[in-house]
Amino acid sequence: MSTAAPKRPAGPARLTWRTRLRRDKSLLLMTVPAVVLLLVFNYVPLFGIVTAFQEYDPLVGVWHSEWVGFDQFQQLFGDPAFWASMKNTLYLSFVQLVLFFPIPIALALLLNSVVSERIRNFFQSVVYLPHFFSWVLAVTIFQQMLGGAGVLNQFLRQHDIGTWDIMTNPHTFALLVTSQAIWKEAGWGIIVFLAALSAINSELYEAAAADGAGRLRRMWHITLPGLRGVIVLMLVLRLGNALSVGFEQFLVQRDAVGHEAADVLDTFSFYYGIATGGYSYGAAAGLFKSVVSLLLIWGANKLAHAFGEDGLYRR
Amino acid sequence: MRSGLNRRSFLTTAATVAGAAAMAPLLSACGGGSDKKAAANTKEGLKAALPAYVPNANAVKPDIASVQGAGDAATDPAYLSYPASPPTSVSGVPGKGGSYTAITPLWGTAPPVGNSFYQAMNKALGVELTVKPTDGINYNTIIPTMTAAKKLPDWINLPSWLNSNFNTGGLVGTQLADLTPYLSGDNIKKYPNLAALPTGAWQHGVWGDKLYGIPCFSTGFGIPGATFYRRDILEARGITADQIKSADDLMNLGKELTDAKRGVWAFDDVWTYLQFAWNVPMKWRVDNGKLVHPFETQEFLEALDWHNRLATSGYMHPDALAGDVSNGSTRFYSGKTLIGGGGLGAWNLSDQQSGAAADPNYRRGAFNAITADGKGTPVIYMGAAASMISYLNAGLKPAQIEELLAVANYLAAPYGTAEYTMVNYGVEGVHHTRVNGAPTFTEEGKKDVQVTTYSFLAASGSVISNPGGEQVTRDYAGWSAANVKYLTKPPFWGMNLSMPQAIASADAAQNVNDTIKDCYHGKKKVSDVQDAIASWRSGPGERLKQWMTDNVLNKYGTGQ
Repeated sequence: MSTAAPKRPAGPARLTWRTRLRRDKSLLLMTVPAVVLLLVFNYVPLFGIVTAFQEYDPLVGVWHSEWVGFDQFQQLFGDPAFWASMKNTLYLSFVQLVLFFPIPIALALLLNSVVSERIRNFFQSVVYLPHFFSWVLAVTIFQQMLGGAGVLNQFLRQHDIGTWDIMTNPHTFALLVTSQAIWKEAGWGIIVFLAALSAINSELYEAAAADGAGRLRRMWHITLPGLRGVIVLMLVLRLGNALSVGFEQFLVQRDAVGHEAADVLDTFSFYYGIATGGYSYGAAAGLFKSVVSLLLIWGANKLAHAFGEDGLYRR
Repeated sequence: MRSGLNRRSFLTTAATVAGAAAMAPLLSACGGGSDKKAAANTKEGLKAALPAYVPNANAVKPDIASVQGAGDAATDPAYLSYPASPPTSVSGVPGKGGSYTAITPLWGTAPPVGNSFYQAMNKALGVELTVKPTDGINYNTIIPTMTAAKKLPDWINLPSWLNSNFNTGGLVGTQLADLTPYLSGDNIKKYPNLAALPTGAWQHGVWGDKLYGIPCFSTGFGIPGATFYRRDILEARGITADQIKSADDLMNLGKELTDAKRGVWAFDDVWTYLQFAWNVPMKWRVDNGKLVHPFETQEFLEALDWHNRLATSGYMHPDALAGDVSNGSTRFYSGKTLIGGGGLGAWNLSDQQSGAAADPNYRRGAFNAITADGKGTPVIYMGAAASMISYLNAGLKPAQIEELLAVANYLAAPYGTAEYTMVNYGVEGVHHTRVNGAPTFTEEGKKDVQVTTYSFLAASGSVISNPGGEQVTRDYAGWSAANVKYLTKPPFWGMNLSMPQAIASADAAQNVNDTIKDCYHGKKKVSDVQDAIASWRSGPGERLKQWMTDNVLNKYGTGQ
């Protein structure tokens, strides 16, 4: 991805702050809404982190709540339910990384090889669509099709074949949620890869074809190297988000498979923090998760740089 | 192009990470609460603060009279038709022209500001009452901002289930007016409609031996729920409610009614209300002067064991086992499930209409309270006698308080009176017309009349009335009358307790309750629940019990 990019101008040709401001005025203006959004919804609420070190009471507010130092964290680290949800999160994250991550890439490659634009557009619309469904709806569709009283099991039952417990089996829950995630999000995930594919110089393919390279060789030597930067970037981001496997999806299905299989860090914060009024406890769990996530994303980025890739930003 | 795209996706992902960091604290600012002190009433103090009870002589005679149970328990009176010419219960206009503001929660669409119904009400009440119906779903977060700024309106409804969020125990006396001098004992006789509200309901408005709150929709039959069944379908198969006398009878019914191939299962979730058939205590039991939590009882484990067996028997609908509660009534209406637990609020005209839309024969019934082994006397624990309580602002002058109490007296006019008609249906010819004798909203009425706006400030006792649905009224009233004798007050009933946050979290016992749910859905064994209970008992459970013993039981007793 960096191959075609020009080198940054080195050294002396420095412009003054004012000149640069004038030059980039319109670009800066365009970023203002995004920056404001970030400030209001992400940076300002960061202030709420202090509640993790308090016994927060909404009635008296942040200023007058009692300070308890690291008590919440001490309690948190001694809570088996917390570690169980941590384990679930990591396990689900791993399963999703192995089973989910390659699929949008494969889909993008497949789609890219379709010549007819009409078929491609049609296919694209079909795979994008589930992304716009809410998790409640997605899970309901799964329940209607595969649930204990769903289409599949009612068919099996009526033909006296044993029923198949898909939706409420805690042991296969990781596979279930990953399939749901693939159904819902894989199509949407291909956008980034399609964009990267379209940027690969088509002359390279022509030259390779002229040299007698077959389909597979062209994919191996041109397409995949062209995608490498984006794949690494997505991987870095995925690792950084390893502790965020989703929230609604688990909230909706928690009663179906039981809390032991379905509780991840985010639902833990909700049920053991907010739902029972233990706000500070939930905040502590959320903060811990964020710190670990930050370390993960930093580590993954370092790793990317070590392999000579751009990672999140160019070194 | 490429690097631009990458930067953008980085930005959004970074936002997600930052968002995750911020999520918990952000959400934590959205309400809930704790209280540093335990508030409760002494027996003598409570007695002195409570108003006298004087039944209303002007009340319309119900078609099915209230049936008295033990203590304060009584069924709601039932009406099959609306009085053709409503009698008056208040003479003259109650107000003296004062201007006031009022806030009540609204679960629904807010009517236009200053609409014709508000104007008509102000005229009838003789005050300039500016009502501000406020989103009920976010009520728990809206009110604390007002109390923090000490900017409560003149009159406000504080639902009792949000008392801990609002710290109502801390607001009384400082921001909410003490009504004891105006309403205690015989003082209330000045306001005959308020005097006709049952004493048990007033108890929920008493804090620290003083009366602050005015109860709305008070009832002597405030029970959590019942085990419902499809009366039309069961009776067609020759099964009547009185044949069901024990848990075994219910289990046998499961076998008889389930036809999975046709997509019919006998049961939906029944745990919440059926567990009391095993004599599981409601929150607490006092044995030899010591508190016993339900989790510590053998009865609880037995109840759980039966429900676990039910879950694995194949008689429960798979979607119910999958924790899908939201479609429960759809399953019931369409006859996919025939028995299910639920709150009594479900038993009304709109339920009948929804059910009949799916099946014209639809008829809801409820099993009588049973004991698990079919022996002895069943028990139904009483819930609050009123959960919507309104309060007046402590900043009001005595003359203003008296004016508003006179207005409350108007709003609390009994069913079928001219005042009740005005509050609930607006002006005849403008907001409602009579269709087959039943007041029916006009288009303007549908738009402007939000019944709860005024009824959440003060209302008469609950009645059973379903204009146009006589069968529903008869069924509900009949079931209430048959079961009122089982109503029992649990310990600490009506005591307005408030707990510190850590104790409330212990009381919530999230981990145990999650495991219990997994158990009655057949995913965990009773022994797993016992393990969860054991670890809860050794920590939070012990602290909870200690707190309850020291701060409530030893200081105030059980309130009975």
